Amino acid sequence: MKTLVLMEHDGSALRSGNGAAIGFARELSDDVCGFLLGEDLDAMNCEAAKFAPVITVDDPALADPVADRWAQVIAEVARARGAERIVATSTTWAKDIVTRAAGLLGGAMASDVIGHEVIDGELRLRRPMFAGAVHATLTLEGLPQIITVCASAYEAPEPAATPFAIEPVVANVTELPGSTQLEEVEGKVGARPDVTEARIVVSGGRAFNTSQDFEQLVGGLADTLDAATGSSRALVDAGIVPNSLQVGQTGKVVAPELYLALGISGAVQHLAGMKNSRVIAAINQDPDAPIFEFSDFGLAGDVYEEVPRLIAELNGS
Amino acid sequence: MKILVPCKRVPDPDQKLRLNAEATDVDSTALTYILNPFDAIAVEEALCIRETTHPDAEIIAVSVAPAEGEDDLRTALAMGADRALLVEHDAQLDSWNVARLLAAVVEREQPALVIMGKQAVDDDANQTGQFLAVQLGWSQATFASQVEFTETGLRVHRETDLGIEIIHVSLPAVVTADLRLNEPRYASLPSILKAKKKPTEYTTAEELGVKPEPRVRLLSMELVHSQRNCEMVTSARELILKLRETEVIKG
Amino acid sequence: MIENSSDVVVIGGGVAGLSTAMQLARRGVSVTVLEREQIGNGSTGRAAGLLGQLRGTAEHTRMLMDGVKIVQELEEQAGAEIYVQTGSVRVAETAEREKEIADLVEMGRSIDFDIAPMATDELAKRMPYMRTDDVAAACWCPTDGHLQPAELAAAYHKVGRDHGVRYETSCPVTGVLLDGSKARGVETPRGEFYAPILVNAAGPWSHLVAGLTGTTLPTAALGHVYLTTQPDPDHPVDRLSPGFRNRHHRIYGRAENGGLLVGIYAEECAEYDMETLPPDFDMSAMKARRDDFHLAMLIHAAQQRFPWINERTPMHVTTGIMTFSPDGLPFCGQLPDHEGLFYCSGFSGHGIVQSPVIGVIMSELILGNRSTYDIASIEADRYWGVPGFQERDEIEQRCHKMQGSYYGRLEGKSADSKTDTA
Repeated sequence: MKTLVLMEHDGSALRSGNGAAIGFARELSDDVCGFLLGEDLDAMNCEAAKFAPVITVDDPALADPVADRWAQVIAEVARARGAERIVATSTTWAKDIVTRAAGLLGGAMASDVIGHEVIDGELRLRRPMFAGAVHATLTLEGLPQIITVCASAYEAPEPAATPFAIEPVVANVTELPGSTQLEEVEGKVGARPDVTEARIVVSGGRAFNTSQDFEQLVGGLADTLDAATGSSRALVDAGIVPNSLQVGQTGKVVAPELYLALGISGAVQHLAGMKNSRVIAAINQDPDAPIFEFSDFGLAGDVYEEVPRLIAELNGS
Repeated sequence: MKILVPCKRVPDPDQKLRLNAEATDVDSTALTYILNPFDAIAVEEALCIRETTHPDAEIIAVSVAPAEGEDDLRTALAMGADRALLVEHDAQLDSWNVARLLAAVVEREQPALVIMGKQAVDDDANQTGQFLAVQLGWSQATFASQVEFTETGLRVHRETDLGIEIIHVSLPAVVTADLRLNEPRYASLPSILKAKKKPTEYTTAEELGVKPEPRVRLLSMELVHSQRNCEMVTSARELILKLRETEVIKG
Repeated sequence: MIENSSDVVVIGGGVAGLSTAMQLARRGVSVTVLEREQIGNGSTGRAAGLLGQLRGTAEHTRMLMDGVKIVQELEEQAGAEIYVQTGSVRVAETAEREKEIADLVEMGRSIDFDIAPMATDELAKRMPYMRTDDVAAACWCPTDGHLQPAELAAAYHKVGRDHGVRYETSCPVTGVLLDGSKARGVETPRGEFYAPILVNAAGPWSHLVAGLTGTTLPTAALGHVYLTTQPDPDHPVDRLSPGFRNRHHRIYGRAENGGLLVGIYAEECAEYDMETLPPDFDMSAMKARRDDFHLAMLIHAAQQRFPWINERTPMHVTTGIMTFSPDGLPFCGQLPDHEGLFYCSGFSGHGIVQSPVIGVIMSELILGNRSTYDIASIEADRYWGVPGFQERDEIEQRCHKMQGSYYGRLEGKSADSKTDTA
């Protein structure tokens, strides 16, 4: 199947997750082509061409990744090229723009795909539902198929020895919708990610005695991992951390890829706030602490000793 | 101004789930259903718009659901929506077809704004709003964390991987609500009592002139179990190694 | 030693079962606790944790005073601070309620319980976030307080474990093994567990567990709701603010996490048919709908005493299931139909506060068949064979009515002598 891989960028560089989309596309077809749109794409096109032939629409009218304009161009090019499958990595960009494009192309879309198989020529896709409690297997009816994949589910291919061709394509950029304008993007500078959305949460409990200790150890480890910080209620009660960090039944419910529970005993009310995390690792002085029953990995030890070691290990590599 | 708020009936996401015998859906016996939390946020936003800038706004809650969907529309009414519309439909529908039904409702009701949750917490698809916008030929403002009215339309803060993106869209538009858009209210006693007198209309796909054409065929489901067997390590270094193996930490 | 055999099997890993197991183990008894889901994740995990020692009778009040002492001992044994002694107040708006408070002050003083009237301006000073202009009288119990139920459960669990208690989770009891009318053990999906003594501490499921032996236990599973406001700089609630009870508005509460926790014993509450819930039902996943009627009633009632609370107030809502009895008192002890089957349930919203002393009472009953406390009012067989307390629908009606009148009825000298107070 003729496959177009929509490659996301932030205006200056390709986003690292694109590799998964190419990897997935290649598993199903030899006819895979990357597609970049935007403005001033030369460097990014060259980067993309290391992995697949690239078609590109480079025009000032597409300077901003605005959904109604980009989706229209994507749909037009997809139709013109006879693409039967369109793939992207699942990100907020894909959910916004690629989904709109999918709508323009008939709506046969599956997002957040984490696995697949081909049975009797039928492509069966696996995707999470119910916040990951269920995996659903589905097929798409009609063409083109629009599929977004989870970045962690597929391997990016190695760059080719010789780069592939880059082909500028023509698209109608003069009659694009003008009802949406981008004002600005307020990048997150300095502030840690929000505990409810971070991929990794480093959470501290009773074991930490002061705000300074929390910031140095829990905060320090979080910064090494680009993670958010969280806490159990004990620290909030003691006034050591603000209420907004509390993870638990009466605090925030989180489900990150990795939840690091440091000096947290694992009371049921705390567990209620993080038990759906993909991987849970805990450090606690008491080897019988309940938290270990709900963790994938555990280290019995003093957080004041172990957390600095973790930070040193991560920084060393 | 009319504001249409699509509402989805979903199983409470925090419950333990079981699958039906055919493993094609969750077992709905003994499941508690609620108004999709993201749609509750959308209802709240419509209410805030009425309370601040558009006191004459009429807020219509619409749901594509089996008959029990009335419960969740009643929740929207109790929160403050003015009337409700149930598009009665029993079978599973993919986002594309839900969008088609909603588009038909929009044609009927002619709202200036559609606000809905960015995703439903059962299928987590995050597609219906975008498909609806396309079918209507309207702008979309997805994952909104702040919505303001301007002279030309809406100024919307959107939560994206790269940070907060601020866009301007003209009306009519479809806005999909993200978690931090607002904190939905509970219904007060007077509001619950008032809601009993608010009208709920009923219609069907047939009446709306839409024949569902599936784009997605769900073959089966599988439960992902949450038991954990803790592997105890003996050092910080070993912990990092193990975490790298699971790929939650790069390196 | 046969595998899976112990002196006692406790059914239910909430505070009632855990406290009983701990007290038995401390007395050298081998105990296995079988919990259908996770330790402390039933009613215990949803409870508000207020420890109010004052009850309608001197005997009950004394029991709860001992309970606080047991918690303090537990703190030492478990090496954790659990009890937060904030003191508590009761407020009265009407002449009847004023009399109620005066009676309770008198009764408390007669048994050396630390209680005194509190002037309204003192009340206003201690609790500036409370409306006091309509308060006719108040009393102050400085030794009252609260704790986090999860921490109490963890302490029972730890001390129990230190004394050899075995805990099995994800282990619902599906059958009771009998030798004629003598208890022999239980059946679970994980095999059989043998003991000549079984303790039914199964909370809302207690009557179903009793049903496994064809026994009628007059308990019912009723819903409860409380709210916890987010900290509000305009209405600061100091973490050591007193707990409160305002029976006229049917509300109670305390400081929690920088905000105010307010719960209600309204005239109406939700009813639960535990049989329709799966055995691994996760009570911690329960939540209130946006248009929950009982929540709306709670908010309305809370607003009468705390005018700044309304449906828009940022808050967390906790719903859960309690085990009520027709008189609001628990069932402790054996029933005439079997030997070795002990009941320990029906705490009617006061499981946390009663659990420390109930563990002692249960261990006394199990080991010596009598208690050092006057337990006439909480005997398990008090409704045995009594007409009107045998059919399920009758039982549910009576329990529902008790919940509805829990705060509604008057205490003190005007109280019905058979009933107790919150």
